[in-house]
Amino acid sequence: MATEPETAKAAVQALIYRAALLLDAEKFTDWLTLCAPDFTYRIETYSPEIRKRMTWLQHDVTGLRAMIEMLPRHNTDHGQLSRHVSVYTVEIEEGGSAAAAVSSFLCHRTMLDGINAHLDAGETQLFLAGKYYDRFRLDEARPLFIDRTVLLDTRRLDKGSHYPI
Amino acid sequence: MTADLSSYGNEALPFVDSRIYSDPALFEEELQKIWKKTWLATVHESELPEPLDFRTLTLAREPVVILRGSDGKVRAFLNVCPHRGNLIVRRPAGNLSAAEPSGTANHMTCMFHAWQFDGFGRCVDIPRQKQGYQDRLSKDDVRLTELPCTVAFGGFVWVSLDKGIMPLADFVGDAFALMREELETEPLDIFHYHKAVIRSNYKLWHDTNSEFYHDYMHYFNRATSMMQKGYFDRRYTAFPNGHCTVGSMEVKYDAYQGVGDRPLSFPGMPRNGWKMVDLFPGTTYNIRGSSLRVDTMTPLAPDCVMIEFRGIGLKRDTTEERARRIADHNSIWGPFGRNLHEDLLGITGQGVAMRPGTEPRRILHGRREDGTIHDEIGMRHFYGEWARRMGRSPSRPDEAAAAAAE
Repeated sequence: MATEPETAKAAVQALIYRAALLLDAEKFTDWLTLCAPDFTYRIETYSPEIRKRMTWLQHDVTGLRAMIEMLPRHNTDHGQLSRHVSVYTVEIEEGGSAAAAVSSFLCHRTMLDGINAHLDAGETQLFLAGKYYDRFRLDEARPLFIDRTVLLDTRRLDKGSHYPI
Repeated sequence: MTADLSSYGNEALPFVDSRIYSDPALFEEELQKIWKKTWLATVHESELPEPLDFRTLTLAREPVVILRGSDGKVRAFLNVCPHRGNLIVRRPAGNLSAAEPSGTANHMTCMFHAWQFDGFGRCVDIPRQKQGYQDRLSKDDVRLTELPCTVAFGGFVWVSLDKGIMPLADFVGDAFALMREELETEPLDIFHYHKAVIRSNYKLWHDTNSEFYHDYMHYFNRATSMMQKGYFDRRYTAFPNGHCTVGSMEVKYDAYQGVGDRPLSFPGMPRNGWKMVDLFPGTTYNIRGSSLRVDTMTPLAPDCVMIEFRGIGLKRDTTEERARRIADHNSIWGPFGRNLHEDLLGITGQGVAMRPGTEPRRILHGRREDGTIHDEIGMRHFYGEWARRMGRSPSRPDEAAAAAAE
């Protein structure tokens, strides 16, 4: 992995966008190849109703892989999720072996079924808004995700989803 | 079984008319005859841990504020200013110790004209009262309307819009008998809250919580329960006033890839047990081993309902225990869980197929399996109470007062 800070920052940015494309394409197994074996993933939000930060999903790689492998056995609305990501900051840690990034995202859902498909299929709705708080390992041949916290602003998810965000 | 099946159309094959899920006039009648005349579980007491903590909500369109007073008692008031009818407390939750731009600390202040009320509902300030009202109005005339309110059954705050309502204990009866030890042995604590607004009728969600035949929709439940010993022995028990419970079994969570055993539990709860209490007209307590889920509903229209989901653990949980309970809860019941998404898709489809204006159809409630898990006795019992309150048969809802209270 190149150690020049600007090069490393560009590589981290590219990795975040690459992850979004793979998630959009529902290539979840390919998405996991961007992650280190010790990667951890969480979806969290703060509830002003109960005045607590909540965890809504938390997995390591083994847990994510199991979740992904079980998806075909579950009913879903087949909504297509697409993520619009803007990387706000990338900070290279001292020594250049790790990095942290903050990105804003909007996740849209283009509907297919699970509603009145005759009327609603093809409509795109805003599903989620929030931020990604990511950490990366840079001391290998390519940067790898080691942690992602999806911090949601959106708390009313209605039908919810089976997919990682 | 106390349901009046004579009000159910065809006793050999009970059904309801789909208009009970879609008719706007019936929906308005339900708000008046059911939702404004019953006890409703609202928030959990752990959402109001400190004096002057509050929560706001809506019951049958009426704005309500729930408040822990300076004396520690939880009370409920109509959240409507007696001056110009404005909403008083606007945030979903908070503490009154923070002053508002229009008012002073420790009071509920209507921001419109700065009328202020204390935690007992007393009006404590009317700006320029003497100049405007002379002696024609006193603060005592305009205290907030206090509603019947009781904390019970695992620390939930139960509220009624009916000042003449029967005691909560009489309304619930023995419906919590199978869950009493889990709920009453020690204090509970909320760890999860989320809500869903679904284009479907509220009763369809309660129906889903009242029948298990739909486990065919859930791979998770087929693998961990339906294929396991004891599933088809689970029994329904019906109680007066439309309530119903479902007995336990040992769920084999490790039969689903990626989900493990649930070593944590509640006092009195068998390891990996699963018990449910369905309360008329729309509250469900559901304990699966380590976590209690409580569903409450706010009907918004004949084809729209808001469902609130709470996850509850023990107040004394360690950090590690709480994390375990949250993970167990989320695996199937969180907004990204395996089962909840499927359940909500289920009633969304019903909402599409039975939207207002669609032709009346027969909706079968006719499975009979000796009161065991795929029997639809839970739904039939609910609609027995519905018929009694509405004075209508659910299978002939257009015949007004055809099935008056027995």
